[in-house]
Amino acid sequence: MPRTRPARWVAAVPMAALALATIYPLVFTANVAMKTRREYVLDRFSPAGSPRWDNLAEAWAGAGMAGYFVNSFIVVACAVALLLLLGSMAGFALARLRFRGSSMIFLGCLAGLFVPFQVIMVPLTRVMADSGLIDTYPGLILAYVAQFLPFTVFLMTSHYRTIPAEIVDAARIDGNTVYGVYLRIMLPLGAPALLSVGILDALFCWNDVLIALLMMPSPENRTLMIGVNALRGQYSGDIPVFASGVLIAAVPVLMIYLFLQRQITDGITAGSTKG
Amino acid sequence: MKRRARTAAGTVRAERLAPYVLVAPAVLIIVALRLWPLALGVNFSFTGDGEFNGTFVGPGNYLELAGDPLFHLSLRNVGLLVLLLPLAVAIPGLLATFIYLRVPGHRVYRSVYFFPAVLSPVIVGAIFNLMLGYEGPLNSALAAIGAGPVDWLGDPGIAMFTVVGVHIWATFGMALVVFLAGFSTLDASLLDAARVDGASLRRTIWHVIIPSLTRTIQFVFVTTMIGMLTSMFGLLFVMTSGGPEGSTYLPEYYIWHQQGQMNRPALASAASTVLFVVMLVVGLLQITLLRRAGRQD
Repeated sequence: MPRTRPARWVAAVPMAALALATIYPLVFTANVAMKTRREYVLDRFSPAGSPRWDNLAEAWAGAGMAGYFVNSFIVVACAVALLLLLGSMAGFALARLRFRGSSMIFLGCLAGLFVPFQVIMVPLTRVMADSGLIDTYPGLILAYVAQFLPFTVFLMTSHYRTIPAEIVDAARIDGNTVYGVYLRIMLPLGAPALLSVGILDALFCWNDVLIALLMMPSPENRTLMIGVNALRGQYSGDIPVFASGVLIAAVPVLMIYLFLQRQITDGITAGSTKG
Repeated sequence: MKRRARTAAGTVRAERLAPYVLVAPAVLIIVALRLWPLALGVNFSFTGDGEFNGTFVGPGNYLELAGDPLFHLSLRNVGLLVLLLPLAVAIPGLLATFIYLRVPGHRVYRSVYFFPAVLSPVIVGAIFNLMLGYEGPLNSALAAIGAGPVDWLGDPGIAMFTVVGVHIWATFGMALVVFLAGFSTLDASLLDAARVDGASLRRTIWHVIIPSLTRTIQFVFVTTMIGMLTSMFGLLFVMTSGGPEGSTYLPEYYIWHQQGQMNRPALASAASTVLFVVMLVVGLLQITLLRRAGRQD
Protein backbone atom coordinates (compact mmCIF):
# COMPACT_ATOMS: atom_id res chain seq x y z
CA MET A 1 0.00 0.00 0.00
CA PRO A 2 2.51 2.70 0.99
CA ARG A 3 4.37 2.21 -2.28
CA THR A 4 1.42 2.78 -4.57
CA ARG A 5 -0.13 5.71 -2.74
CA PRO A 6 2.23 8.41 -4.09
CA ALA A 7 1.88 6.86 -7.56
CA ARG A 8 -1.87 7.38 -7.31
CA TRP A 9 -1.46 11.06 -6.66
CA VAL A 10 1.08 11.40 -9.46
CA ALA A 11 -1.44 9.83 -11.84
CA ALA A 12 -4.28 12.00 -10.58
CA VAL A 13 -2.81 15.19 -12.01
CA PRO A 14 -2.62 14.17 -15.70
CA MET A 15 -5.93 12.40 -15.30
CA ALA A 16 -7.61 15.56 -14.08
CA ALA A 17 -6.01 17.45 -16.97
CA LEU A 18 -7.36 14.89 -19.39
CA ALA A 19 -10.82 15.16 -17.86
CA LEU A 20 -10.65 18.92 -18.48
CA ALA A 21 -9.52 18.31 -22.06
CA THR A 22 -12.53 16.03 -22.48
CA ILE A 23 -15.03 18.59 -21.22
CA TYR A 24 -13.50 21.83 -22.46
CA PRO A 25 -14.30 21.56 -26.20
CA LEU A 26 -18.01 21.30 -25.43
CA VAL A 27 -17.87 24.15 -22.92
CA PHE A 28 -16.03 26.29 -25.47
CA THR A 29 -18.66 25.54 -28.11
CA ALA A 30 -21.51 26.31 -25.71
CA ASN A 31 -19.84 29.60 -24.80
CA VAL A 32 -19.37 30.55 -28.46
CA ALA A 33 -23.02 29.75 -29.09
CA MET A 34 -23.99 32.37 -26.49
CA LYS A 35 -21.93 35.19 -28.04
CA THR A 36 -22.77 37.78 -30.62
CA ARG A 37 -20.82 37.65 -33.85
CA ARG A 38 -18.91 40.76 -32.79
CA GLU A 39 -18.01 39.33 -29.39
CA TYR A 40 -16.78 36.17 -31.06
CA VAL A 41 -14.55 37.97 -33.54
CA LEU A 42 -13.07 40.23 -30.85
CA ASP A 43 -12.43 37.54 -28.24
CA ARG A 44 -13.20 33.87 -28.62
CA PHE A 45 -12.50 32.84 -25.08
CA SER A 46 -14.04 35.37 -22.72
CA PRO A 47 -17.29 34.20 -21.15
CA ALA A 48 -20.28 35.47 -23.13
CA GLY A 49 -21.48 38.80 -21.69
CA SER A 50 -25.19 38.10 -21.61
CA PRO A 51 -26.35 34.78 -23.03
CA ARG A 52 -27.69 35.22 -26.56
CA TRP A 53 -30.60 32.84 -26.77
CA ASP A 54 -31.59 34.27 -30.15
CA ASN A 55 -28.62 32.42 -31.70
CA LEU A 56 -30.35 29.18 -30.78
CA ALA A 57 -33.64 30.44 -32.19
CA GLU A 58 -31.92 31.58 -35.38
CA ALA A 59 -30.24 28.16 -35.89
CA TRP A 60 -33.47 26.33 -35.11
CA ALA A 61 -35.72 28.36 -37.39
CA GLY A 62 -33.31 29.58 -40.08
CA ALA A 63 -31.90 26.15 -40.82
CA GLY A 64 -35.19 24.27 -40.46
CA MET A 65 -33.80 22.00 -37.76
CA ALA A 66 -37.29 21.00 -36.66
CA GLY A 67 -37.73 19.06 -39.91
CA TYR A 68 -34.39 17.27 -39.42
CA PHE A 69 -35.39 16.37 -35.86
CA VAL A 70 -38.67 14.88 -37.07
CA ASN A 71 -36.88 12.84 -39.76
CA SER A 72 -34.32 11.50 -37.30
CA PHE A 73 -36.94 10.77 -34.68
CA ILE A 74 -39.24 8.79 -37.00
CA VAL A 75 -36.41 6.76 -38.48
CA VAL A 76 -34.67 5.99 -35.18
CA ALA A 77 -37.91 5.11 -33.35
CA CYS A 78 -39.05 2.69 -36.07
CA ALA A 79 -35.60 1.15 -36.53
CA VAL A 80 -35.09 0.56 -32.79
CA ALA A 81 -38.59 -0.91 -32.35
CA LEU A 82 -37.98 -3.33 -35.22
CA LEU A 83 -34.48 -4.19 -33.99
CA LEU A 84 -35.73 -5.04 -30.51
CA LEU A 85 -38.66 -7.09 -31.79
CA LEU A 86 -36.66 -9.13 -34.32
CA GLY A 87 -33.59 -9.34 -32.07
CA SER A 88 -35.49 -10.67 -29.07
CA MET A 89 -37.48 -13.17 -31.17
CA ALA A 90 -34.32 -14.58 -32.73
CA GLY A 91 -32.36 -14.34 -29.47
CA PHE A 92 -35.00 -16.33 -27.57
CA ALA A 93 -35.13 -19.05 -30.25
CA LEU A 94 -31.35 -19.30 -30.55
CA ALA A 95 -30.74 -19.36 -26.81
CA ARG A 96 -33.57 -21.47 -25.43
CA LEU A 97 -35.15 -23.59 -28.19
CA ARG A 98 -33.63 -26.71 -29.68
CA PHE A 99 -34.04 -26.95 -33.43
CA ARG A 100 -32.08 -28.21 -36.39
CA GLY A 101 -29.65 -25.63 -37.81
CA SER A 102 -29.71 -23.33 -34.79
CA SER A 103 -25.93 -23.19 -34.37
CA MET A 104 -25.50 -22.58 -38.12
CA ILE A 105 -27.98 -19.71 -37.93
CA PHE A 106 -26.21 -18.22 -34.90
CA LEU A 107 -22.88 -18.35 -36.75
CA GLY A 108 -24.52 -16.70 -39.76
CA CYS A 109 -25.71 -13.81 -37.58
CA LEU A 110 -22.22 -13.54 -36.09
CA ALA A 111 -20.73 -13.41 -39.60
CA GLY A 112 -23.00 -10.44 -40.29
CA LEU A 113 -21.29 -8.70 -37.36
CA PHE A 114 -17.98 -8.82 -39.21
CA VAL A 115 -19.17 -7.34 -42.48
CA PRO A 116 -18.56 -3.60 -42.14
CA PHE A 117 -20.97 -1.26 -43.89
CA GLN A 118 -18.15 0.25 -45.99
CA VAL A 119 -17.58 -3.10 -47.63
CA ILE A 120 -21.19 -3.54 -48.77
CA MET A 121 -22.24 0.07 -49.29
CA VAL A 122 -22.06 0.00 -53.09
CA PRO A 123 -24.12 -3.15 -53.69
CA LEU A 124 -26.51 -2.29 -50.82
CA THR A 125 -27.20 1.15 -52.28
CA ARG A 126 -27.90 -0.51 -55.61
CA VAL A 127 -30.25 -3.11 -54.07
CA MET A 128 -32.12 -0.31 -52.28
CA ALA A 129 -32.32 1.78 -55.46
CA ASP A 130 -33.60 -1.20 -57.46
CA SER A 131 -36.36 -1.77 -54.90
CA GLY A 132 -37.34 1.91 -54.96
CA LEU A 133 -36.41 2.39 -51.30
CA ILE A 134 -33.81 5.15 -51.73
CA ASP A 135 -34.95 8.48 -50.29
CA THR A 136 -37.80 6.90 -48.31
CA TYR A 137 -38.23 6.36 -44.56
CA PRO A 138 -38.65 2.57 -44.98
CA GLY A 139 -35.38 2.42 -46.93
CA LEU A 140 -33.29 4.13 -44.24
CA ILE A 141 -35.09 2.21 -41.47
CA LEU A 142 -34.37 -1.09 -43.21
CA ALA A 143 -30.72 -0.11 -43.76
CA TYR A 144 -30.33 0.63 -40.03
CA VAL A 145 -32.08 -2.59 -39.02
CA ALA A 146 -29.78 -4.58 -41.31
CA GLN A 147 -26.74 -2.75 -39.96
CA PHE A 148 -27.39 -3.29 -36.24
CA LEU A 149 -29.40 -6.54 -36.23
CA PRO A 150 -26.40 -8.91 -35.92
CA PHE A 151 -25.23 -6.99 -32.82
CA THR A 152 -28.77 -6.96 -31.37
CA VAL A 153 -29.35 -10.68 -32.00
CA PHE A 154 -25.96 -11.50 -30.49
CA LEU A 155 -26.58 -9.54 -27.28
CA MET A 156 -30.15 -10.79 -26.87
CA THR A 157 -29.01 -14.39 -27.37
CA SER A 158 -26.33 -14.06 -24.71
CA HIS A 159 -28.81 -12.40 -22.35
CA TYR A 160 -31.41 -15.14 -22.80
CA ARG A 161 -28.74 -17.78 -22.17
CA THR A 162 -28.46 -16.42 -18.63
CA ILE A 163 -32.15 -17.17 -18.02
CA PRO A 164 -32.60 -20.74 -16.69
CA ALA A 165 -34.05 -23.20 -19.20
CA GLU A 166 -36.35 -24.53 -16.43
CA ILE A 167 -38.42 -21.36 -16.61
CA VAL A 168 -39.18 -22.04 -20.27
CA ASP A 169 -39.94 -25.72 -19.59
CA ALA A 170 -42.25 -24.85 -16.71
CA ALA A 171 -44.16 -22.38 -18.87
CA ARG A 172 -44.53 -24.99 -21.61
CA ILE A 173 -45.90 -27.55 -19.16
CA ASP A 174 -48.42 -24.95 -18.02
CA GLY A 175 -49.81 -25.11 -21.55
CA ASN A 176 -48.16 -22.09 -23.19
CA THR A 177 -47.30 -22.27 -26.87
CA VAL A 178 -43.80 -21.21 -27.93
CA TYR A 179 -45.23 -17.82 -28.90
CA GLY A 180 -46.94 -17.61 -25.53
CA VAL A 181 -43.63 -18.23 -23.78
CA TYR A 182 -42.03 -15.50 -25.87
CA LEU A 183 -44.75 -12.93 -25.21
CA ARG A 184 -45.52 -13.68 -21.57
CA ILE A 185 -42.15 -14.82 -20.21
CA MET A 186 -39.18 -13.95 -22.38
CA LEU A 187 -40.17 -10.44 -23.46
CA PRO A 188 -40.66 -9.23 -19.84
CA LEU A 189 -37.54 -11.07 -18.64
CA GLY A 190 -35.55 -9.51 -21.47
CA ALA A 191 -36.42 -5.96 -20.39
CA PRO A 192 -33.04 -4.95 -18.90
CA ALA A 193 -31.14 -6.21 -21.95
CA LEU A 194 -33.72 -4.68 -24.31
CA LEU A 195 -33.22 -1.32 -22.59
CA SER A 196 -29.41 -1.48 -22.86
CA VAL A 197 -29.37 -2.70 -26.45
CA GLY A 198 -32.18 -0.34 -27.42
CA ILE A 199 -30.32 2.71 -26.13
CA LEU A 200 -27.14 1.66 -27.92
CA ASP A 201 -28.99 0.98 -31.18
CA ALA A 202 -30.74 4.34 -30.86
CA LEU A 203 -27.41 6.12 -30.31
CA PHE A 204 -25.81 4.36 -33.28
CA CYS A 205 -28.72 5.24 -35.60
CA TRP A 206 -29.09 8.80 -34.30
CA ASN A 207 -25.35 9.50 -34.71
CA ASP A 208 -24.89 7.83 -38.10
CA VAL A 209 -23.58 9.86 -41.03
CA LEU A 210 -22.64 7.54 -43.87
CA ILE A 211 -25.81 5.42 -44.15
CA ALA A 212 -28.09 8.45 -43.93
CA LEU A 213 -26.00 10.22 -46.55
CA LEU A 214 -26.37 7.32 -48.99
CA MET A 215 -30.01 6.40 -48.34
CA MET A 216 -31.50 9.92 -48.08
CA PRO A 217 -30.02 12.14 -50.81
CA SER A 218 -32.79 14.79 -50.87
CA PRO A 219 -32.29 17.86 -48.66
CA GLU A 220 -35.82 17.62 -47.18
CA ASN A 221 -35.10 14.04 -46.07
CA ARG A 222 -31.92 14.90 -44.17
CA THR A 223 -31.50 13.44 -40.73
CA LEU A 224 -30.39 15.74 -37.93
CA MET A 225 -26.67 14.94 -38.26
CA ILE A 226 -26.63 15.55 -42.01
CA GLY A 227 -28.65 18.71 -41.44
CA VAL A 228 -26.20 20.03 -38.86
CA ASN A 229 -23.37 19.53 -41.29
CA ALA A 230 -25.29 21.46 -43.95
CA LEU A 231 -25.57 24.31 -41.43
CA ARG A 232 -21.84 24.88 -41.78
CA GLY A 233 -22.22 26.17 -45.33
CA GLN A 234 -25.26 28.26 -44.52
CA TYR A 235 -23.70 30.03 -41.51
CA SER A 236 -20.02 29.99 -42.44
CA GLY A 237 -19.88 33.75 -41.69
CA ASP A 238 -21.76 33.50 -38.39
CA ILE A 239 -19.94 31.00 -36.22
CA PRO A 240 -22.02 31.59 -33.05
CA VAL A 241 -25.21 30.56 -34.89
CA PHE A 242 -23.43 27.50 -36.28
CA ALA A 243 -22.21 26.61 -32.79
CA SER A 244 -25.79 26.99 -31.56
CA GLY A 245 -26.96 24.47 -34.15
CA VAL A 246 -24.25 22.03 -33.05
CA LEU A 247 -25.30 22.53 -29.43
CA ILE A 248 -28.98 21.90 -30.21
CA ALA A 249 -28.06 18.67 -31.99
CA ALA A 250 -25.85 17.54 -29.10
CA VAL A 251 -28.37 18.18 -26.31
CA PRO A 252 -30.67 15.14 -26.76
CA VAL A 253 -27.72 12.73 -26.69
CA LEU A 254 -26.14 14.45 -23.68
CA MET A 255 -29.47 14.20 -21.85
CA ILE A 256 -29.69 10.48 -22.59
CA TYR A 257 -26.13 10.05 -21.37
CA LEU A 258 -26.79 11.92 -18.13
CA PHE A 259 -29.79 9.77 -17.25
CA LEU A 260 -28.97 6.40 -18.79
CA GLN A 261 -25.19 6.17 -18.52
CA ARG A 262 -25.34 2.82 -16.71
CA GLN A 263 -27.41 1.19 -19.46
CA ILE A 264 -25.09 2.50 -22.18
CA THR A 265 -21.90 1.22 -20.60
CA ASP A 266 -23.61 -2.07 -19.65
CA GLY A 267 -24.50 -2.68 -23.29
CA ILE A 268 -20.94 -2.06 -24.42
CA THR A 269 -19.36 -4.26 -21.77
CA ALA A 270 -21.90 -7.05 -22.38
CA GLY A 271 -20.52 -7.28 -25.91
CA SER A 272 -16.97 -7.63 -24.63
CA THR A 273 -17.33 -10.05 -21.74
CA LYS A 274 -19.65 -12.46 -23.50
CA GLY A 275 -17.83 -12.31 -26.84
CA MET B 1 -47.34 -33.81 -21.06
CA LYS B 2 -50.88 -35.13 -20.89
CA ARG B 3 -52.22 -31.89 -22.24
CA ARG B 4 -49.69 -32.04 -25.11
CA ALA B 5 -50.96 -35.46 -26.16
CA ARG B 6 -54.48 -34.16 -26.43
CA THR B 7 -53.58 -31.30 -28.81
CA ALA B 8 -54.26 -31.74 -32.49
CA ALA B 9 -51.49 -32.84 -34.85
CA GLY B 10 -51.62 -29.42 -36.56
CA THR B 11 -50.71 -27.63 -33.36
CA VAL B 12 -47.77 -29.95 -32.84
CA ARG B 13 -46.45 -29.10 -36.27
CA ALA B 14 -46.95 -25.39 -35.63
CA GLU B 15 -45.00 -25.75 -32.40
CA ARG B 16 -42.18 -27.49 -34.20
CA LEU B 17 -42.05 -24.73 -36.81
CA ALA B 18 -42.17 -21.99 -34.18
CA PRO B 19 -38.37 -21.60 -33.73
CA TYR B 20 -37.98 -21.10 -37.47
CA VAL B 21 -40.78 -18.54 -37.54
CA LEU B 22 -39.04 -16.65 -34.70
CA VAL B 23 -35.62 -16.50 -36.38
CA ALA B 24 -36.85 -16.11 -39.98
CA PRO B 25 -37.21 -12.30 -40.16
CA ALA B 26 -33.78 -11.66 -38.62
CA VAL B 27 -32.11 -14.28 -40.81
CA LEU B 28 -33.80 -12.98 -43.95
CA ILE B 29 -32.68 -9.40 -43.31
CA ILE B 30 -29.12 -10.35 -42.40
CA VAL B 31 -28.73 -12.64 -45.40
CA ALA B 32 -30.44 -10.33 -47.90
CA LEU B 33 -28.91 -7.03 -46.76
CA ARG B 34 -25.49 -7.99 -45.35
CA LEU B 35 -24.19 -11.34 -46.58
CA TRP B 36 -25.71 -11.31 -50.08
CA PRO B 37 -24.45 -7.77 -50.86
CA LEU B 38 -20.96 -8.91 -49.87
CA ALA B 39 -21.03 -11.57 -52.61
CA LEU B 40 -22.73 -9.14 -54.98
CA GLY B 41 -20.01 -6.55 -54.38
CA VAL B 42 -17.14 -8.95 -55.03
CA ASN B 43 -18.86 -10.01 -58.25
CA PHE B 44 -19.53 -6.37 -59.13
CA SER B 45 -15.86 -5.44 -58.72
CA PHE B 46 -14.98 -7.50 -61.80
CA THR B 47 -17.39 -5.56 -64.04
CA GLY B 48 -16.91 -2.16 -65.63
CA ASP B 49 -18.30 1.35 -65.07
CA GLY B 50 -20.12 3.67 -67.45
CA GLU B 51 -20.50 2.15 -70.91
CA PHE B 52 -19.04 -1.14 -69.66
CA ASN B 53 -21.70 -1.34 -66.95
CA GLY B 54 -22.44 -5.01 -66.29
CA THR B 55 -19.79 -6.46 -68.59
CA PHE B 56 -16.97 -8.57 -67.23
CA VAL B 57 -13.63 -6.71 -67.28
CA GLY B 58 -11.52 -9.14 -65.27
CA PRO B 59 -9.06 -7.55 -62.84
CA GLY B 60 -9.32 -4.15 -64.59
CA ASN B 61 -10.64 -2.29 -61.56
CA TYR B 62 -7.96 -3.76 -59.33
CA LEU B 63 -5.25 -2.72 -61.79
CA GLU B 64 -6.68 0.79 -61.83
CA LEU B 65 -6.61 0.86 -58.02
CA ALA B 66 -2.99 -0.30 -58.07
CA GLY B 67 -2.11 2.72 -60.22
CA ASP B 68 -4.24 5.32 -58.39
CA PRO B 69 -2.09 7.57 -56.15
CA LEU B 70 -5.18 8.52 -54.12
CA PHE B 71 -5.82 4.87 -53.28
CA HIS B 72 -2.13 4.48 -52.39
CA LEU B 73 -2.50 7.39 -49.99
CA SER B 74 -5.54 5.78 -48.39
CA LEU B 75 -3.66 2.49 -47.90
CA ARG B 76 -0.62 4.33 -46.52
CA ASN B 77 -2.95 5.93 -44.00
CA VAL B 78 -4.25 2.49 -43.03
CA GLY B 79 -0.63 1.58 -42.31
CA LEU B 80 -0.36 4.70 -40.16
CA LEU B 81 -3.48 3.68 -38.24
CA VAL B 82 -2.02 0.23 -37.59
CA LEU B 83 1.14 1.89 -36.24
CA LEU B 84 -0.88 4.19 -33.98
CA LEU B 85 -3.07 1.33 -32.77
CA PRO B 86 -0.93 0.34 -29.75
CA LEU B 87 -1.18 3.95 -28.55
CA ALA B 88 -4.97 3.94 -28.96
CA VAL B 89 -5.11 0.78 -26.83
CA ALA B 90 -2.46 1.72 -24.27
CA ILE B 91 -4.01 5.09 -23.35
CA PRO B 92 -7.38 3.70 -22.21
CA GLY B 93 -5.64 0.67 -20.74
CA LEU B 94 -3.40 2.78 -18.55
CA LEU B 95 -6.24 5.08 -17.54
CA ALA B 96 -8.40 2.08 -16.63
CA THR B 97 -5.53 0.73 -14.52
CA PHE B 98 -5.36 3.95 -12.53
CA ILE B 99 -9.12 4.09 -12.12
CA TYR B 100 -9.06 0.48 -10.93
CA LEU B 101 -6.31 1.34 -8.44
CA ARG B 102 -8.61 4.07 -7.14
CA VAL B 103 -6.75 7.19 -8.10
CA PRO B 104 -8.31 10.14 -6.23
CA GLY B 105 -11.51 11.03 -8.11
CA HIS B 106 -11.76 7.70 -9.94
CA ARG B 107 -15.55 7.68 -9.79
CA VAL B 108 -15.84 10.92 -11.74
CA TYR B 109 -13.27 10.07 -14.39
CA ARG B 110 -15.15 7.09 -15.71
CA SER B 111 -18.24 9.16 -16.53
CA VAL B 112 -16.29 12.12 -17.85
CA TYR B 113 -14.00 10.13 -20.12
CA PHE B 114 -16.84 8.17 -21.64
CA PHE B 115 -19.05 11.10 -22.56
CA PRO B 116 -17.52 12.02 -25.98
CA ALA B 117 -18.19 8.43 -27.08
CA VAL B 118 -21.93 9.14 -27.25
CA LEU B 119 -21.50 12.17 -29.53
CA SER B 120 -21.91 11.85 -33.29
CA PRO B 121 -18.77 12.31 -35.40
CA VAL B 122 -20.59 15.27 -36.97
CA ILE B 123 -20.81 17.01 -33.59
CA VAL B 124 -17.26 16.06 -32.63
CA GLY B 125 -15.93 17.19 -36.00
CA ALA B 126 -17.80 20.49 -35.83
CA ILE B 127 -16.56 21.19 -32.30
CA PHE B 128 -12.97 20.45 -33.28
CA ASN B 129 -13.23 22.54 -36.43
CA LEU B 130 -13.74 25.43 -33.98
CA MET B 131 -11.08 24.23 -31.54
CA LEU B 132 -8.42 23.69 -34.20
CA GLY B 133 -8.98 26.85 -36.20
CA TYR B 134 -5.90 28.93 -36.96
CA GLU B 135 -6.83 31.35 -34.17
CA GLY B 136 -8.65 28.71 -32.14
CA PRO B 137 -8.13 27.68 -28.52
CA LEU B 138 -5.44 25.10 -29.20
CA ASN B 139 -3.17 27.48 -31.11
CA SER B 140 -3.76 30.15 -28.49
CA ALA B 141 -2.70 27.71 -25.79
CA LEU B 142 0.42 26.92 -27.80
CA ALA B 143 1.14 30.61 -28.27
CA ALA B 144 0.95 31.05 -24.50
CA ILE B 145 3.91 28.70 -24.12
CA GLY B 146 5.66 30.27 -27.09
CA ALA B 147 5.00 27.59 -29.71
CA GLY B 148 2.94 27.30 -32.88
CA PRO B 149 0.71 28.24 -34.49
CA VAL B 150 0.09 24.92 -36.22
CA ASP B 151 -2.13 24.51 -39.27
CA TRP B 152 -3.82 21.43 -37.80
CA LEU B 153 -6.10 20.60 -40.71
CA GLY B 154 -4.38 22.42 -43.57
CA ASP B 155 -0.91 20.89 -43.44
CA PRO B 156 -0.75 17.59 -45.40
CA GLY B 157 1.94 16.30 -43.05
CA ILE B 158 -0.16 16.93 -39.93
CA ALA B 159 -3.84 16.66 -40.91
CA MET B 160 -4.05 12.84 -40.67
CA PHE B 161 -2.51 12.85 -37.19
CA THR B 162 -4.97 15.55 -36.17
CA VAL B 163 -7.98 13.53 -37.36
CA VAL B 164 -6.72 10.35 -35.69
CA GLY B 165 -6.12 12.34 -32.50
CA VAL B 166 -9.69 13.61 -32.56
CA HIS B 167 -10.95 10.08 -33.23
CA ILE B 168 -9.03 8.79 -30.21
CA TRP B 169 -10.35 11.70 -28.10
CA ALA B 170 -13.87 10.73 -29.09
CA THR B 171 -13.59 6.97 -28.60
CA PHE B 172 -11.07 6.17 -25.87
CA GLY B 173 -13.87 6.10 -23.29
CA MET B 174 -15.38 3.13 -25.10
CA ALA B 175 -12.21 1.03 -24.69
CA LEU B 176 -11.82 2.33 -21.13
CA VAL B 177 -15.20 0.94 -20.14
CA VAL B 178 -14.35 -2.42 -21.72
CA PHE B 179 -11.04 -2.49 -19.81
CA LEU B 180 -12.82 -1.71 -16.55
CA ALA B 181 -15.21 -4.60 -17.17
CA GLY B 182 -12.16 -6.80 -17.66
CA PHE B 183 -10.67 -5.53 -14.40
CA SER B 184 -13.81 -6.50 -12.52
CA THR B 185 -13.07 -10.14 -13.38
CA LEU B 186 -9.48 -9.77 -12.14
CA ASP B 187 -8.47 -11.87 -9.15
CA ALA B 188 -7.84 -9.27 -6.42
CA SER B 189 -5.71 -11.69 -4.36
CA LEU B 190 -3.05 -11.59 -7.13
CA LEU B 191 -2.79 -7.84 -6.74
CA ASP B 192 -2.61 -8.13 -2.97
CA ALA B 193 0.16 -10.70 -3.31
CA ALA B 194 2.09 -8.34 -5.58
CA ARG B 195 1.67 -5.57 -3.03
CA VAL B 196 2.84 -7.76 -0.19
CA ASP B 197 5.89 -8.66 -2.25
CA GLY B 198 6.54 -4.92 -2.68
CA ALA B 199 6.26 -4.99 -6.46
CA SER B 200 6.43 -1.58 -8.15
CA LEU B 201 3.46 -0.30 -10.12
CA ARG B 202 5.27 -0.95 -13.41
CA ARG B 203 6.06 -4.54 -12.48
CA THR B 204 2.53 -5.10 -11.22
CA ILE B 205 1.10 -3.91 -14.53
CA TRP B 206 3.58 -5.96 -16.56
CA HIS B 207 3.49 -9.23 -14.60
CA VAL B 208 0.05 -9.34 -13.04
CA ILE B 209 -2.43 -7.12 -14.86
CA ILE B 210 -1.47 -7.65 -18.52
CA PRO B 211 -1.28 -11.48 -18.36
CA SER B 212 -4.64 -11.68 -16.55
CA LEU B 213 -6.36 -9.44 -19.07
CA THR B 214 -5.18 -11.08 -22.30
CA ARG B 215 -8.71 -11.70 -23.55
CA THR B 216 -9.85 -8.17 -22.82
CA ILE B 217 -6.74 -6.71 -24.46
CA GLN B 218 -7.32 -8.87 -27.54
CA PHE B 219 -10.91 -7.72 -27.73
CA VAL B 220 -9.94 -4.05 -27.42
CA PHE B 221 -7.20 -4.39 -30.06
CA VAL B 222 -9.55 -5.91 -32.60
CA THR B 223 -12.51 -3.61 -31.95
CA THR B 224 -10.30 -0.48 -31.89
CA MET B 225 -8.79 -1.49 -35.22
CA ILE B 226 -12.22 -2.11 -36.75
CA GLY B 227 -13.35 1.23 -35.32
CA MET B 228 -10.41 3.06 -36.87
CA LEU B 229 -10.92 1.46 -40.27
CA THR B 230 -14.70 1.84 -40.44
CA SER B 231 -15.93 4.66 -38.25
CA MET B 232 -13.77 7.62 -39.21
CA PHE B 233 -15.88 8.54 -42.24
CA GLY B 234 -17.93 11.07 -40.30
CA LEU B 235 -14.84 12.93 -39.06
CA LEU B 236 -13.23 12.93 -42.52
CA PHE B 237 -16.49 14.11 -44.07
CA VAL B 238 -16.87 17.00 -41.64
CA MET B 239 -13.26 17.98 -40.95
CA THR B 240 -11.13 17.48 -44.08
CA SER B 241 -13.11 15.96 -46.99
CA GLY B 242 -10.01 13.84 -47.58
CA GLY B 243 -7.73 16.86 -48.02
CA PRO B 244 -5.38 18.63 -47.98
CA GLU B 245 -3.94 17.07 -51.14
CA GLY B 246 -5.64 13.77 -50.37
CA SER B 247 -3.52 13.35 -47.25
CA THR B 248 -6.46 12.23 -45.07
CA TYR B 249 -7.95 9.69 -47.45
CA LEU B 250 -8.94 6.35 -45.96
CA PRO B 251 -10.39 3.45 -47.99
CA GLU B 252 -13.90 4.15 -46.68
CA TYR B 253 -13.71 7.76 -47.86
CA TYR B 254 -12.24 6.64 -51.19
CA ILE B 255 -15.12 4.16 -51.69
CA TRP B 256 -17.73 6.80 -50.89
CA HIS B 257 -16.06 9.35 -53.17
CA GLN B 258 -15.74 6.98 -56.14
CA GLN B 259 -19.29 5.73 -55.79
CA GLY B 260 -21.19 8.91 -55.06
CA GLN B 261 -19.05 11.72 -56.44
CA MET B 262 -17.21 10.14 -59.40
CA ASN B 263 -19.96 7.71 -60.43
CA ARG B 264 -17.55 4.75 -60.44
CA PRO B 265 -19.46 2.11 -58.42
CA ALA B 266 -17.56 -0.86 -59.85
CA LEU B 267 -14.21 0.71 -58.99
CA ALA B 268 -15.59 1.49 -55.53
CA SER B 269 -16.59 -2.17 -55.17
CA ALA B 270 -13.06 -3.25 -55.94
CA ALA B 271 -11.80 -0.88 -53.23
CA SER B 272 -14.42 -2.36 -50.85
CA THR B 273 -13.13 -5.84 -51.53
CA VAL B 274 -9.56 -4.70 -50.86
CA LEU B 275 -10.69 -3.07 -47.59
CA PHE B 276 -12.44 -6.27 -46.53
CA VAL B 277 -9.32 -8.34 -47.24
CA VAL B 278 -7.12 -5.83 -45.40
CA MET B 279 -9.41 -6.00 -42.37
CA LEU B 280 -9.46 -9.79 -42.40
CA VAL B 281 -5.68 -9.98 -42.65
CA VAL B 282 -5.08 -7.36 -39.96
CA GLY B 283 -7.65 -8.97 -37.66
CA LEU B 284 -6.28 -12.48 -38.03
CA LEU B 285 -2.69 -11.26 -37.71
CA GLN B 286 -3.51 -9.44 -34.49
CA ILE B 287 -5.24 -12.45 -32.99
CA THR B 288 -2.31 -14.75 -33.85
CA LEU B 289 0.30 -12.29 -32.56
CA LEU B 290 -1.57 -11.64 -29.33
CA ARG B 291 -2.15 -15.35 -28.76
CA ARG B 292 1.54 -16.02 -29.18
CA ALA B 293 2.45 -13.13 -26.87
CA GLY B 294 -0.06 -14.43 -24.34
CA ARG B 295 1.48 -17.91 -24.41
CA GLN B 296 5.01 -16.66 -23.77
CA ASP B 297 4.01 -15.17 -20.46
